[in-house]
Amino acid sequence: MNIDFSLLITEISLAILGLTVFTLGLILPAKSSQKGLGTFSLCGLLVILALTIASWGNQGETLGGMYLADYFTSFFKILSLTALILVILGSKNYVNSQIENHLEYYSTLIFATLGMIIMFSAGDFITLYLGLELMTISFIVLTSFRRTNGKSLEAGMKYLLLAGLSSAVLLYGLSLVYGAAGTVFIKEIAGNIAQGYFNPLLIVGLAMLIAGFGFKISAAPFHMWAPDVYEGAPTPVTAFLAVGSKAASFAVLIRVFLGAFLEMQEQWTMLIAFLAALSMLIGNLTAFAQTNIKRMLAFSSIAQAGYILVGLVAANEAGIKGVMFYSFIYVFATIGAFTVVSEVYNKTGSDDIADYAGLSQRAPLAAVVLLISMLSMAGIPPLAGFTGKYYLFITVVQDYLWLVYLGLILSMVSVYYYLRVVLVMFRDEPADPAPLKLGSTASLTLWLTLAATLFLGIYPWPLAKLANTVAIAFLAGL
Amino acid sequence: MAGALNPSYFVVLSAALFTIGIYGALSKKNAIAVLISIELMLGAVNINLVAFNKYFTPEAFSGQIFAIFVITVAAVEVGLGLALIIALCRRRNTTALDDLDWLKW
Amino acid sequence: MKQLQGCADMENSLELIAFFLLAGSLLTGALMVVTLKNLVNSVLSLIVVFFSLAGIFILLNADFLAAVQVLVYAGGVCIMLVFGVMLVQRKDMRESNPVNRRFLIAAPLTGALFLLIGLVAAKSPWVKEAGEVPENTIEHLAPILLRDYVIPFEAVAILLTVALTGVLLLVKEVKDNGRSS
Repeated sequence: MNIDFSLLITEISLAILGLTVFTLGLILPAKSSQKGLGTFSLCGLLVILALTIASWGNQGETLGGMYLADYFTSFFKILSLTALILVILGSKNYVNSQIENHLEYYSTLIFATLGMIIMFSAGDFITLYLGLELMTISFIVLTSFRRTNGKSLEAGMKYLLLAGLSSAVLLYGLSLVYGAAGTVFIKEIAGNIAQGYFNPLLIVGLAMLIAGFGFKISAAPFHMWAPDVYEGAPTPVTAFLAVGSKAASFAVLIRVFLGAFLEMQEQWTMLIAFLAALSMLIGNLTAFAQTNIKRMLAFSSIAQAGYILVGLVAANEAGIKGVMFYSFIYVFATIGAFTVVSEVYNKTGSDDIADYAGLSQRAPLAAVVLLISMLSMAGIPPLAGFTGKYYLFITVVQDYLWLVYLGLILSMVSVYYYLRVVLVMFRDEPADPAPLKLGSTASLTLWLTLAATLFLGIYPWPLAKLANTVAIAFLAGL
Repeated sequence: MAGALNPSYFVVLSAALFTIGIYGALSKKNAIAVLISIELMLGAVNINLVAFNKYFTPEAFSGQIFAIFVITVAAVEVGLGLALIIALCRRRNTTALDDLDWLKW
Repeated sequence: MKQLQGCADMENSLELIAFFLLAGSLLTGALMVVTLKNLVNSVLSLIVVFFSLAGIFILLNADFLAAVQVLVYAGGVCIMLVFGVMLVQRKDMRESNPVNRRFLIAAPLTGALFLLIGLVAAKSPWVKEAGEVPENTIEHLAPILLRDYVIPFEAVAILLTVALTGVLLLVKEVKDNGRSS
């Protein structure tokens, strides 16, 4: 069996970059030169992003269908690389002041991305599982990275135990599906089911897969870990966890459920619709009570997972397009918000919403970005979030109208708690009126996310068209 | 062929082991005990994988390969978990999960 | 012909006896793991579970896997766990493995889950593939593992690197804190 290395260009270069950062960090003696590792990884990642975009047309599968490279994977590769670049760019100040082990930090971030890419490029369960674990274990290490901080360690411990539990449930589901369908290849499973290869264990396995993946995307009722881990993890890690891990898990959900179980659609769409509704409800309603901004954003991200799941309920090309579009704009809104949070924490040492009083006077750019990001998450036109929600909910108007109403009402409700933060920032007088100086790279990130959120809200068609092409190609390739 | 073993025996056995593991993971207070329970669950997964390998894909070996990877990852999880427990114990002097309340559950 | 049949029956019933013996020790060990009050005893019964698992693997023609199971789990993981328990638990060992109040919910829930999977599994039709697992699995496993499954294999290598650095980072002494031993 030959390996087509040209299809693996992103993966191989990411692995090389991660190992180079690792080695460079060990060779460079002085503590001060370690700070250059961030810049180095950033340059490397930009080159890899360019390579990935350049190899957009290079499609195929290698290792006998075990590893896939199609438009769908290219889209999500670009998404996760963009997210990582923005996170590293935006968190330079934070990392320099809060994290002492740069070499481990940057290499683990890169390896987490590699795990995501392996996970959604997998054509079989074994590769999928290992990509997933590479991502999860990297995130556990990153979550507990501030090891002198008890909260960070506690978050890491909780994440490890709950992730281990959910991985075990997911694996049990995978093993049952393997037994019931007689193969680990996603494509062959679809073929066997189409041939009437049916076993009741498949349904049990399917339910366990939904539980396991539901944990990874932090959908209710499997969301208990998210607020704690989001609060305890270093803020840039939280941002990457919220964006990258979630987007990659959604990509895998689409790959597995549409790729292998499209025939059994009626068995799982109801369950997914239930998860979506519950996530929207719990996420939006619990976000009210939060006083810590990271916790509030965690609950809001649970609600976002609910919105994105709606696209999966539709289980057609419009639904896939909605999921892809929303995942992409979610990158900018989330990273914008978390960059502000990490900059504020860096200066004030606090994540409490009350300490954001008068941010509009102390750091106007940060306040505006937080405002725009939150309004985009709430789905206010003309921002990107509105377009994304439109693409998602339009797909289920015919079959699941109640879900659309629920989503609309809860989006309105969510405006309330987002506006609470906005009011604190713009109306209240700051306790300390000294201006809060943002780092230059953080400002650059903020400008980039702001521009992207506005641009994709006003002029969404290029991205929407791209997502549409990819979705059609994905369904045609099944 | 009345008494021959078939996959059902192994699936029922693994289901029993798996649910014992879930019970332990949900009901134990000590972090190490929860880790052990997760290992039981992964053991149940391996029974399934190897049994299905024997009965459905004897020549492709998918199940056995999968099981090897599962064992590796499980060992990694235990190692990382113990490191976290030791680090937490140094800082907070406890391994009881109910004491981990700096972040609300 | 008849003798051959009898021979196969004999083998079947031997396999059945072995299965039930192993399953019995496996489940007893597992129950002891989750019910014993002393954490060290729990870890020791875990070793019983792992050895029975290895036996089940041999019954399923997975001899290499059985060896890996014994080496990694019974040899490595259990020793690591015992060390972990000893390092962390300095006080009384007798009540070191308590149960919280959630077991009242957990017990019926898991019981129902077992009944569900068990009943479905007992009733499901199995289409047995022709062919047997070849003898001497390691000769067949090696090329598959290193050629067909090269990407997961490399992913595991990186996973181990990440975990190793993470573990070292976590347990490294913290110099500015006097409390760490």
